[in-house]
Amino acid sequence: MFFLLLLSRLVATLLHIAAVLALAPLLLGYVTQLRARLLGRRGPPLLQPYRNLVRRLRKTTLVPDTATELYHFWPFAVFAPLAAAAMLTPGFSTGMVTAGLSDFITLIGLLALARAATMLAGLETGFGFGGAAAAREALFGIVAEAALLVIVISFVLLAHTATIDGIAETFRTGQIGVSVSLGFALAAMLCVALTETGRIPVDNQAGHLELAMVHEAMLLEYSGRYLLLFEYAAMLRLMVWMCLIGTVFFPFGMARADAPLSWPGGLLLWVVKLAILATVLPVFEISTAKMRVFRVPEFLGVAMLLGVLASVFLFVASRLGG
Amino acid sequence: MFGLPGQGMHLRVDALSALFLCILVPQVVASAVAEMRGSLTFWVFVLGMVLTLVAGDAFTLIFGFELMSAASWLLVLRGDAKPATLYAGIAIFSGACLIPAVFLPPGALAFVLVLLGAGAKAGLAPLHSWLPRAHPAPPAGVSAVMSGGMVKVALYVLIRYGFIVFGGAAQPWWGTLLMLAGAGSVLIGALRSVLEVEMKTMLACSTVEHVGLIAVGLGIALRAKAMGDPVLAALALQAALLCAVAHGLFKPMLFLGAGAVRRATGTTSLDWLGGLMRGMPRLGGLMLAGAAGMAALPLGPGFAPEFLLLHAVIAAAATGGILARIGFTALLAGLGLAAALALAAAVRLIGIGFLGRPRSLHVAAASDAPRRVLLGMGGLGALCGLVALFPGLILALLRPVILLLVPDADPAPLAYAPLPLAFLFLLAIGGALFALQKFGVRGTREVPAWNGGFGRPPVWLPFGDPTTQPSATGFAEPIRRAIARGLLGPEAADPAEAFLLAPLARLHWRGTRLAERIRRSTIRERLAFVFGALVMFLLALGLAQGG
Repeated sequence: MFFLLLLSRLVATLLHIAAVLALAPLLLGYVTQLRARLLGRRGPPLLQPYRNLVRRLRKTTLVPDTATELYHFWPFAVFAPLAAAAMLTPGFSTGMVTAGLSDFITLIGLLALARAATMLAGLETGFGFGGAAAAREALFGIVAEAALLVIVISFVLLAHTATIDGIAETFRTGQIGVSVSLGFALAAMLCVALTETGRIPVDNQAGHLELAMVHEAMLLEYSGRYLLLFEYAAMLRLMVWMCLIGTVFFPFGMARADAPLSWPGGLLLWVVKLAILATVLPVFEISTAKMRVFRVPEFLGVAMLLGVLASVFLFVASRLGG
Repeated sequence: MFGLPGQGMHLRVDALSALFLCILVPQVVASAVAEMRGSLTFWVFVLGMVLTLVAGDAFTLIFGFELMSAASWLLVLRGDAKPATLYAGIAIFSGACLIPAVFLPPGALAFVLVLLGAGAKAGLAPLHSWLPRAHPAPPAGVSAVMSGGMVKVALYVLIRYGFIVFGGAAQPWWGTLLMLAGAGSVLIGALRSVLEVEMKTMLACSTVEHVGLIAVGLGIALRAKAMGDPVLAALALQAALLCAVAHGLFKPMLFLGAGAVRRATGTTSLDWLGGLMRGMPRLGGLMLAGAAGMAALPLGPGFAPEFLLLHAVIAAAATGGILARIGFTALLAGLGLAAALALAAAVRLIGIGFLGRPRSLHVAAASDAPRRVLLGMGGLGALCGLVALFPGLILALLRPVILLLVPDADPAPLAYAPLPLAFLFLLAIGGALFALQKFGVRGTREVPAWNGGFGRPPVWLPFGDPTTQPSATGFAEPIRRAIARGLLGPEAADPAEAFLLAPLARLHWRGTRLAERIRRSTIRERLAFVFGALVMFLLALGLAQGG
């Protein structure tokens, strides 16, 4: 019986990994197309990200002559932590084999590792655009990480566990209900997510001016299969953030890894949740403009403040309730 | 033979001393292997540290501590006379606080004195500003042991007195005080390490940050112990002690590397380095490993302590009233800020110093560090790997220390598992490599960098114009503009210097001027002074006798 349960959890984990890895480009394609439609353009087809990835495979990989030996290392150093994060963050079900590893702080560390490797890739060839973008990314990362940690405190105090899996489990079954602090935390988390995934109002992924780029400018010197890894990693990052928000704030209907009969329903709801989040993102994006670089710390400062408020409200609520 | 008359010198090694001896040994060995073998002062310095750690009575402890201070002062003086005076002043201050403290009965006054004395030596805010000046001055091998070992010895004194000797009288506010000092050090250290351009100064600022992290852990533990919460105390102690172990490995490694860079290129200014990974690949790899530890990245040696510390802060936020909740939430935000600042500092160290293009011909012509330096750093790097991959093992070894400090504690196993995480990484990288090899076009082609379409540099500049690449100052500029000006003021000067050192310097200047005025006084002024004093004396005598 025990082995059957373990096998079931293992299969659920593999299913999750396969689904996340396979659907990440589609998610980006959907967001891009919907955004183009909302702006009155036709937009690229849904499957365009897949085609881009396949095309990168067939291109020669060019190495700049000013790059050091580590040039070949950074794409993997960006891809591996994000892939690991995608494997850890629960999607359609709770109780996967990787549940014990999915500590929130580990996840923050993995995102930081990917960010560090991206910044180093930007500094690698020693040309201006990459370095300027890395400096901006460092600034964004500082405020985003602080804000994210402050948000985590509310989750951990509510759920009495720090693993994302445990938090989802508690929020799904427990009598948490709709609380004010979770609302604040959601708003704060969305701000951090927009920053981390490099969307408007922080960064414009469709921009063409190197001076205004942040995430893209660090990859200017990369081509071919290394660029593929970076682009795929960016898709995975978007996927991880959507999974994270969906799992923590909307855990209803998630399947259990040791009950295979609940999987189809969980998978269906997961896709619906992703679709809703991926619809909200472009709607929000077209309704705002990109900020100046030095406004972003203020934007994230608001997120941090919301996180502190969530924690304080939680305290007040627990005192009033108890 | 030595020691107080009639009492002698007592040596005793318990779990706590043994732990700090274990922290000390690898870095001393590495430093000796790399360059310091022949220096007698260095060995006296080491002897002082060891004596402090194995002291069984207060006199021996103070003797060792002062021996360590004096020897390290000589070593600093050998490197640079300017910070040596400041260093001696701080050492005297620290001795003046510690000597009365160890002979006082346990209580608040004694603890505050120990905190001031040991804290000044460890570089805790607000008495930290000597550290980024004095630690970079001596040769790299000494900087390594000062940063990795000497501050730990000072923290050892703090732990020994705060938890064991004064343990019975401990109050929660002692821990709060320690935490506040630690939080200040963390923020200022991390922020300055992003802004400093000299590599060794930057590493010293990062030491201030890590001392702060250890102090925050110790403060939470002290507070929790006084409030009767052994679970939280054990968690925070795990974080603090593991951080001390990890920092004692990667920081000496980085300092030794900085020394090798200075020997190879003649400078440690990040604004003049660049592209060292090409000429010094082995040193660069080791520095990358050390920087990963400094930035507390997962699968590096620094992540497990950071992980434990953040969990300890979150757990502490659940205890106490509304003030504790707000305070610990703010502390967590500060720690998050500092962690990301440390990441930026590490990225800047590697990205500006070791990647990119050389900024001078010296740097372009640099060859790899001598074998002995690489050997010393490699040994430390191997131990870093051990801490990075098996932090649970180290925590199991720390168990007796934690039980000694908090007798009724039951340290929990670590929730962060690096090995499965490493397995996931290998899985991802293996899968990616397989897919790229099987389906992709193989091989690479070397081309001039695209650089946004600017094209090739002229032939007489083989690495392009060095001024067109981002500098260390430029990399820090957004952070300076957005954060440092808010926290440190428009000049981005250290508040400890502006509010503590500068007034002291002004006072010193005024006193000197007064003394000089008196020394230069004429014979008439002196006679008038003597006459006036005589009149005053007689007047006072007459008044006292009621005449």
